[in-house]
Amino acid sequence: MKKILAQGSIIILLFLGAWFGLNQIDWVKIFKVEKITNKTEEKLGEFFLETFENSEEEIQNIHLLNSIDTIVNHICSSNNIDRESIKFHVFNNPEINAFALPDGHLIINSGLILNSDNQEELIGVICHEIAHIELNHVMKKLIKEVGLSTLISMTTGNSGAVILKETAGMLSSSAFDRTLEKDADLKAVEYLINANLNPEPFANFLYKLSDNEHEASEYLTWISTHPDSKERAEYVLEHSKNQSIYYESVLSSSTWEKMKIELNE
Amino acid sequence: MIQIKQFSYVPGEHESEAASSSYLMSLIAIIVGLPLPIVNLIATLIFYLGNRKSTYFVRWHCTQALLSQLSMLFINSIAFWWSITIILNEEVISNNYIAYLFVVIVFNLTEFITTIYSAIQTRKGIHVEWWFYGALTNLICKDKS
Repeated sequence: MKKILAQGSIIILLFLGAWFGLNQIDWVKIFKVEKITNKTEEKLGEFFLETFENSEEEIQNIHLLNSIDTIVNHICSSNNIDRESIKFHVFNNPEINAFALPDGHLIINSGLILNSDNQEELIGVICHEIAHIELNHVMKKLIKEVGLSTLISMTTGNSGAVILKETAGMLSSSAFDRTLEKDADLKAVEYLINANLNPEPFANFLYKLSDNEHEASEYLTWISTHPDSKERAEYVLEHSKNQSIYYESVLSSSTWEKMKIELNE
Repeated sequence: MIQIKQFSYVPGEHESEAASSSYLMSLIAIIVGLPLPIVNLIATLIFYLGNRKSTYFVRWHCTQALLSQLSMLFINSIAFWWSITIILNEEVISNNYIAYLFVVIVFNLTEFITTIYSAIQTRKGIHVEWWFYGALTNLICKDKS
């Protein structure tokens, strides 16, 4: 019996030893794994962005873009996020919506900015979408919904325009699953607190928009695709509690107002 | 690694054939069942159950084949599900994963070659005992006569 145990232990040790030994080699670098994965995501990001650019008008107002850039810069620098990894685009669309595309493209609709009562509400939604990007939720969702083979065929140009358009529609109009949404919400709260920004308006935004009486309810894409808004608002508030820090604003109130006026024009 | 030993009796032609088939069974199932790690175990298990009332020589080799498949199932299942989580993008390809795959491939290859060798030897009526598995089989499989 002792002999069997000794021999069994040797096999296990041999297995673990070989695994540990081979683990010391940088296989990811040798096989250029990251390069291949990043290229697929980069191409997908370009394809989807192009689809939206073809159907919607991208806003080029310098003041507006600079203001959003200030917000994104502030969030990234306070949370050690590589600023280059987030590429935001503002589209002229009345729907209250923002969503993430592969390769860090963040789409913000003008409807979201116009319907945010204050900058913190908008920043909360931006943080939520940045969290989806940073937690790699976009590629996870795409692979789950569309399948890896279809995604690869998209990047190699063998896929039809119909699939591309349908997938783009799915990214902009359907939520991630419940767990991923909660992860992104909690990450957003973390980003906001690290950036000295008050997370409460983000929770208020969820509360406010979950109310069907809201005047812009016909354009409430972001909230209708993100179920259980009241529950989400509650745990956002719960995680914002007991944070005895001094909150600040990223934009001055005049800049925020100017942004809205320019969008209304 | 493999030892040729004297069995308690000289197996007949029919017994050698059945014992050899127990190894062949897992080999055929590996080809059919790739990449599902469970298929070869099921094939070996069915063959084992079919021969558990057979002669000592046949039972002994069926048990050795089954035990080796069981341990392979364990490491192959980890590799299989790890790969699935990567395909579903729950996990990323890491050095840890690639190193694990290499070790699993080496262990599977060793088992594959050992199985072929054992199938050939037992077909000739030669009794082969694998390192660790042979001793474990001796512990489990007893001569009823």
